[in-house]
Amino acid sequence: MTDMVELARAPAELEVPATLGALGDIASFVLRLAGRAGLGKGPAYRIRLAVDELATNIVMHGYRGGDGRITVRGRSGPGRVQISLADSAPAFDPVEGCLPPAPGVPPERRRIGGLGIHLALTSVDEFSYVRRDGRNISTLTVNAEGTDPCPPRP
Amino acid sequence: MPLSVSLSIEGDTTVIELAGELDAKTAPDFHQTIEKAAGHGTGTVEIRMAGVGYMASAGLRSLVFAQQKVANHVTIKVVGAIEPVSRTIRTAGLDRSIVLSDE
Repeated sequence: MTDMVELARAPAELEVPATLGALGDIASFVLRLAGRAGLGKGPAYRIRLAVDELATNIVMHGYRGGDGRITVRGRSGPGRVQISLADSAPAFDPVEGCLPPAPGVPPERRRIGGLGIHLALTSVDEFSYVRRDGRNISTLTVNAEGTDPCPPRP
Repeated sequence: MPLSVSLSIEGDTTVIELAGELDAKTAPDFHQTIEKAAGHGTGTVEIRMAGVGYMASAGLRSLVFAQQKVANHVTIKVVGAIEPVSRTIRTAGLDRSIVLSDE
């Protein structure tokens, strides 16, 4: 965990109701940390997109539109932002729900839902998931100099 | 940031102009406008996105919805999307059926 030494020790925290109306607050929180870390426009966009997609998924599919809370924690260090999202919805590992674009299927017939998670996971430089004490905890990291593997080039 | 959506007709083209942020919260406004645009029956539906600073997968869902609503011969163009937005469209493979152009 040497990487963590470079990040702020006390994480910033935001707790919001699991509603689409909270997405704006989550985005502001993430972009503020990205600014503090000195991330450029590209990496800041990537961490915002990834967190937004996972939070949307928690609202729409995790809690299925019902009541719930999302806790967002963030740490920033020079050129690096790490965000964790925690929820109490049923267990869901985003890596298992990731759905890369199916090459043989016309776009209009693809499932876009799983594509949001694919966008999230391909936008970050590191991703981890744990189920702990009845909570899903996803941790996403973006580096200023990180590579962006998305989209897969033909 | 909210999304502003406007709809107009220029000759045989229905123009949808978007500005702001396109995410799961704001995409329903875009959806409604797509329904109206599809009813116009023009040969092209042009979606001007230069003013869109952010687009999540909800925006992709809207573009797929647009493809489903218009007749087969109708061309859908996305014009002026910033690089991360057009990258998201390409990631989904939608650039094979939607024309992406700079202007």
